[in-house]
Amino acid sequence: MASEPPARRRVVVTGVGAVSACGWGVPALWAGLRSGRTSISAFTRFDHTRHRTHVAGEAPAGPPADFARGRGWPRLSLADRFALFSAREALAQAGLEPPLGERAAGVFFGSSTGGMLESEWYVADLMRPGTRERRGLMASQQINAPGDAVARALGVTGPVQTLSSACASGALALAAALAAVRAGDVEIALAGGADSLCQVTYAGFNALRAVDEVPCRPFRSGRAGMSVGEGAGVLVLEALEHARARGATPLAEVCGAGSSCDASHMTAPLPDGTGAALAIRRALDDAGLPPAAIGFVNAHGTGTPLNDASEFAGLEGALGARAREIPLTATKATVGHLLGSSGALEAVATVLCLREREVHPTPGDGEVDPGIAVRLVTGAPLPAPDARAALSTSLAFGGSNVALVLGRWD
Amino acid sequence: MTSQTAIRANLKRLIVATLNLDGLTPDRIADDEPLFGAGLGLDSVDALELVVALEKEYGISIASHEVDRSVFGSLASLSDFVARRLAETRPASPHGQ
Repeated sequence: MASEPPARRRVVVTGVGAVSACGWGVPALWAGLRSGRTSISAFTRFDHTRHRTHVAGEAPAGPPADFARGRGWPRLSLADRFALFSAREALAQAGLEPPLGERAAGVFFGSSTGGMLESEWYVADLMRPGTRERRGLMASQQINAPGDAVARALGVTGPVQTLSSACASGALALAAALAAVRAGDVEIALAGGADSLCQVTYAGFNALRAVDEVPCRPFRSGRAGMSVGEGAGVLVLEALEHARARGATPLAEVCGAGSSCDASHMTAPLPDGTGAALAIRRALDDAGLPPAAIGFVNAHGTGTPLNDASEFAGLEGALGARAREIPLTATKATVGHLLGSSGALEAVATVLCLREREVHPTPGDGEVDPGIAVRLVTGAPLPAPDARAALSTSLAFGGSNVALVLGRWD
Repeated sequence: MTSQTAIRANLKRLIVATLNLDGLTPDRIADDEPLFGAGLGLDSVDALELVVALEKEYGISIASHEVDRSVFGSLASLSDFVARRLAETRPASPHGQ
């Protein structure tokens, strides 16, 4: 006897948390994004005199003094600390108390470098004659360390996994969390990503000449590369019924996710954006929404000449003529490129824009590239009272593309 | 022969120098205070650091199965262990002393 497939569970966001160059916490992020001023500037995390470029999106010292650091804090890497702070902030907004062990909860995290910064300090000790190496710096070395730190501190005993696909990692983690909640594997998912500045990535992007000497200028004529940033973004994803049953207020809905791979080049995207377009189409299909339903785009928008051109081609491929009309913003112009956590932080930014009914501006000098017919939001926040859904893209090295569709919750 | 008192004083100095514990000074470590958990709050990475430092300082070797609570429980038990190990590893005197 034929039976109807069960209705797919809806998944909502009930809490968000963030650390970035704007500061520790979501209020600092939102104020920074609305200001139209970049938080990318000169930085002090390590000596960069021998590099071509000298700016980054460095998080200020933190966390705030009133943050409950908890046992084991001294062993955590900076990326772990970003992750744990953001997770606690998101959980508090969701009205959930750790430990979550009694609830069916999981952690889905993305990172590119985990505790690489601290490992660099360890190796520097090792190479310096007469210096006793600090083994403790290696305690949190692994890429999975930020997600594990969140699970340990918040008592999450369900599935805990880290995805690392370069700059798509954070968005992939959200896609994995969405799938797990839909499938009923978990009722609650802490989804996000964390990365800190470190010498390896700073040197690597410089070696590729992919870094702008001034704060990055996504979609502008003179753009000459990205700016490396650091921080974390965490979202509490929850089955709608679970959130309702405990009286929680959804902030937004995670409507769909899609991914693809260019299968082409180690670093460069396909110029025609076909890989990006495929991920976007898949996300829209997954959400069951047409291009016309998308009110604005939070672009990957790194500020490299290649990415921004290819990304717009991908948007046109997936959205058609709508790609030229739709307001588009790039969070990286304010906070830099958070690498493995960028997709998570930009999902947080997109939730904030949907809730506040305005699209944050994209700082950057110079005119918008006339070769790209993009409607870039510049200067001041753009009111978006009718935006009921938004698209957030992450287009990574290795050709890994992820698109997320987030919906406003009224 | 190295006296227990001298070993204890040296271990306290070594812990402070090795472990980078905020605000800790040798005189604030009590002989019977638990080194791990509720007492001094050392963790397993600290234990590893301490083993390496002890091996270097005293020229002894410590096997991983010896890193347990009976040895690393307190400064007193650790100092007893170091004294025993020093006595074992010291070559027998040709004069039978």
